[in-house]
Amino acid sequence: MRTLVFIPAWNEEAALGGVIADVRKAIPEADLLVVDDGSTDATAERAREAGALVASLPFNQGLGAALQTGYLYALRNGYEACAHLDADGQHPAEEVARLLAEVTADRADLVIGSRYHAGAVAATGDYRPTFSRRIGTSVFRFFLTLATRQRFTDTTSGMRAANRRVMSLFSRHYSPDFAEIESLQLAVRQGLRVEELPVRMLERAGGSSFLTPLRSAFFIFKGLVVLLVGQFRPRHVETE
Amino acid sequence: MLPFAAETGQVHLTSQTRIVAAVLALFFMLMILELIRRDRLQERYSVIWFVAGLGMLAGAAFPGLLEVVANLMGVRNTNVALFSIVLLLLLGLALNFSVIMSRQAAQITRLAQERAIEKALAEKRAGANGNGASGEKRLESEKERLEG
Repeated sequence: MRTLVFIPAWNEEAALGGVIADVRKAIPEADLLVVDDGSTDATAERAREAGALVASLPFNQGLGAALQTGYLYALRNGYEACAHLDADGQHPAEEVARLLAEVTADRADLVIGSRYHAGAVAATGDYRPTFSRRIGTSVFRFFLTLATRQRFTDTTSGMRAANRRVMSLFSRHYSPDFAEIESLQLAVRQGLRVEELPVRMLERAGGSSFLTPLRSAFFIFKGLVVLLVGQFRPRHVETE
Repeated sequence: MLPFAAETGQVHLTSQTRIVAAVLALFFMLMILELIRRDRLQERYSVIWFVAGLGMLAGAAFPGLLEVVANLMGVRNTNVALFSIVLLLLLGLALNFSVIMSRQAAQITRLAQERAIEKALAEKRAGANGNGASGEKRLESEKERLEG
């Protein structure tokens, strides 16, 4: 089965090389694409040195647009499965391989790696979220579960695997602003099988999270508006 | 109530104000024309401005119109009617621009994505043809050709 692993990266020159090496080791059969989201550092060069193909957006477009580029690339080039993970080294590639296995076994259309799922929390104590992140997480968890009537624990996880039905949907509709949450809502509403898998995540290798308390509050507010609006979007029957 | 008593009955405009208003409206429409002529404004976005200009002209030519509209709105003070109408129109315009902006933002994003994918595929092809070094060279020469 042709598989693509893509990594959205914005100014991640420090961690990216290690992430690519990790993916090559854990998922040697997959093609690798780095979506460079208008980086101003040596992200693209590091990716090429590490042997990945690079799709460079001419200017920073945000995570949603970068992820959509990956889905579009996978769809256009006939990949049957794809997965993506963060470029900062929080996502171990062997966990991504487990997500891909679910998709290739056709147990789900879209698989999310969850760091909060009961299994994941019990298995490792590696990942300790900050206070504001915990609040945001539980708010989104509650409302997304309410909106989709399906239990989600890790709504903002950037570690996912998907098949062609999802590629087709996401390459057409993917919110540039609020990619992670809205995409889950959209996928469930379109009748796709979305599944969460407990995974182990690591502390970020470098840099700090962009979330300050005020930003978190705004982020949460924006997320709720997006979710509410999303409930009124038309449903389409996917044909591919 | 008293200070407005005169205004509630009918609209009084001296011929001087009417001429000034008409000239301003005409000037406004000429400005729109000039912007289109110089390719600074696209025709499809100019229609609404012409309608606004015509409205201003009509108001200047027939002050009674405003009174009719105010009555239709159930507003006794024509000034209030005028400002409400203008405010609503501006709100509508601002919303219209947000819609246009959103559409263009989506188009720009898709354009950027298409270009990124095309370049990545070109790079891949260049790498696949022959060995990596010559592929690199071919890419370099292509880059020079495009930039030069």
